[in-house]
Amino acid sequence: MNHDIDIKNTRINCFRQSKIKGEFLLQMRVPGGTLDAKYLEFVQHICKTWGNGLFHFGMRQCFNVPGIKYESIPAVNAYIKEYLEGVEVGMCNVKMDDTEHGFPTIGGRNIMSCIGNEHCIKANVNTFALARKIEPLIFPGHYHVKIAVAGCPNDCGKAHFNDFGMIGIAKMEYHQERCIGCGACVDACSHHATGVLKLNEFNKIDKDDCCCVGCGECTLICPASAWTRLPTKFFRVLLGARTGKQEARMAKTFLTWVTEDVILQLFANWPKFSAWVLDYKPEYLHGGHLIDRAGYQKFKEIMLDGVKLNPEAKVADNIYWAETEYRRDIHVKPLAEHKKAGPGATSGH
Amino acid sequence: MGFSLSLEKANAILNELKKEYRIYAPKRFEKQGRYSDTDIIRYDEIDSIEEIVTGEKSTYSPKEVLFPITQTILYFTEDEYRETKMDDKKILIFMRPCDINARKVQERIYMGNGGFDDFYYKRLREKVKFVMMECTKGWDTCFCVSMGTNKATNYAAAVRFLEDGILLDVKDEELQGYFADVAKAPFEVEFIEGNETVVELPQIPDKKVLNAIKAHPMWDEYNSRCIACGACTIACGTCTCFTTTDLFYTQNANVGERRRTYSSCQIDGFDEMAGGLIFRKSYADTMRYKVLHKVHDYKERFGENMCVGCGRCTDRCPQFISFSHTIEKLNHAIKEICEQPVSQS
Ligand code: SF4
Ligand code: SF4
Ligand code: SF4
Ligand code: SF4
Ligand code: SF4
Repeated sequence: MNHDIDIKNTRINCFRQSKIKGEFLLQMRVPGGTLDAKYLEFVQHICKTWGNGLFHFGMRQCFNVPGIKYESIPAVNAYIKEYLEGVEVGMCNVKMDDTEHGFPTIGGRNIMSCIGNEHCIKANVNTFALARKIEPLIFPGHYHVKIAVAGCPNDCGKAHFNDFGMIGIAKMEYHQERCIGCGACVDACSHHATGVLKLNEFNKIDKDDCCCVGCGECTLICPASAWTRLPTKFFRVLLGARTGKQEARMAKTFLTWVTEDVILQLFANWPKFSAWVLDYKPEYLHGGHLIDRAGYQKFKEIMLDGVKLNPEAKVADNIYWAETEYRRDIHVKPLAEHKKAGPGATSGH
Repeated sequence: MGFSLSLEKANAILNELKKEYRIYAPKRFEKQGRYSDTDIIRYDEIDSIEEIVTGEKSTYSPKEVLFPITQTILYFTEDEYRETKMDDKKILIFMRPCDINARKVQERIYMGNGGFDDFYYKRLREKVKFVMMECTKGWDTCFCVSMGTNKATNYAAAVRFLEDGILLDVKDEELQGYFADVAKAPFEVEFIEGNETVVELPQIPDKKVLNAIKAHPMWDEYNSRCIACGACTIACGTCTCFTTTDLFYTQNANVGERRRTYSSCQIDGFDEMAGGLIFRKSYADTMRYKVLHKVHDYKERFGENMCVGCGRCTDRCPQFISFSHTIEKLNHAIKEICEQPVSQS
């Protein structure tokens, strides 16, 4: 078939161009990577009816349906109205004016999460519940951002490899009178975590609070419930990771011991920050690059604007990322080629 | 004497009782469980009937009231010591039948064992009255009926919890006084007659079989399964072991306090004697020691089994080691040994 297709528009509609002419791969968001299993049948129907019969687990936990013909896109979009209304509007409270024409944007990428405390014995928080709360703050938004949520510092949720990564942590309470001095928590902390516990001469525990990562290994192993998690859920927020051909890097800690409330206020500022950096002209540029353009200090200023931090919260004074540069001096170039942020910023492309 | 009380009336009497008694019952500690967003239920003082958790087994046993996990027992100086003081309040504890029977088991050790009374246990015990919580359904890991501990009679009062009130059978005369203006209503407490888990009690006929059991490979699996955390024994209502620690207030004077704290045969290092001599080493060994103690050795000495079948050890084990299944395996091993031709043994 002789196609005349605006590839950019189909991409924004979450249909990604295939190497096979006229074919596309549909990426369906699954906020928090967890859904009612009834949607498996729904997705299967799309694969079998309009796709090529294959199914792919998206790298960001999307349902990926390959082999959809360009001509089928309207039919597929009509069919996924039910999905958008069930998952985005119903489950995540996303505001969508139009559910008739498929996904309105590819901007804010699917928010990934590990299974969290719904199932995992190591977890400290409900990961996908948080993902579902962040979803309406970044979707449908045209500014690109990659977000992940992990239930504990094991970080199976890959918080370290996203623009923003949340890690569920807990403050531990020590019930001295319940402690039998067995030392199991001391061993667990030093084997699995940070080694901040020690058995004192009274057969009780001393803790160096400075460096506890809030993982909960002490609580998991304690035979007497002498360590328990405080009910308030806390998070560490990692910032600025990226993969790619040029300058891959792992995230660094931006915030720690912040509550869910702080995180939601933070993401409410993301569109504002992105808009400022790109001078209100969204482009296909990932979050980490926006942070680079603005610089961490400017990023911090806008993102924390109006955010009411909980008393336990800590914020990175500065961040020093370590990149893997795939070309020497990749950042060294004539002044005229430097990317700019803010009013009057020109596109880097 | 039977009574029927609304929650309101019951709470009014509870408040009256609180002037004379500390009242302990299984209470929910939200989100304090081993895993995130799980609870534990343990004994603590209550202010109302509604605080008592009736629909779930308590994670920890009521022994914590009479035998606290950590207890300061005396203060000492260079040349004298003084026992810790206690206030005059009496104590009421809401307990299930198995837990009341577990008191008997512990008390054979703490009171009268070798003609010796544990002063600190006894002085608390003398203040205590039991309010038996009727238990007719139990839970999946309970096997009290098999152990014969599903019924108890030595209670001051027995209680059935209803949606909007309680039924009481008050035997204790002193307690009866609090119900003078309450209309009598017949109430006879019921007991569970069958558990989901049924356990056949191991019968080890003689020393020879016992020795063969000790050498049997059935214990080997626990070398890789048990992590020696001791959670089973801390939750157990019948384990009695403790260690004593002296806490010196300053570095250069012999002034301080003596504390005792739970200990456990399941935990690494428990058997280390001065000089580093260790009797039981592998986790197969510690498991064998615990199991035989619970369902054989104690009985050899006192005529009744130690284990009361409350199932808390199974509930608490993070490695899914089921105590009742272990007893089954033991039965199987006994049978195997007894059926062997004599020439082999
Ligand atoms: S929560 Fe803190 S103290 Fe406990 S194991 Fe983790 S790092 Fe150690
Ligand atoms: S694991 Fe629990 S009981 Fe053992 S030393 Fe640590 S806090 Fe105390
Ligand atoms: S063992 Fe279970 S059923 Fe039996 S009295 Fe105890 S809690 Fe109730
Ligand atoms: S051994 Fe297990 S079942 Fe028996 S009394 Fe102890 S905790 Fe209960
Ligand atoms: S709770 Fe389980 S793993 Fe821990 S010591 Fe007891 S049997 Fe072993």
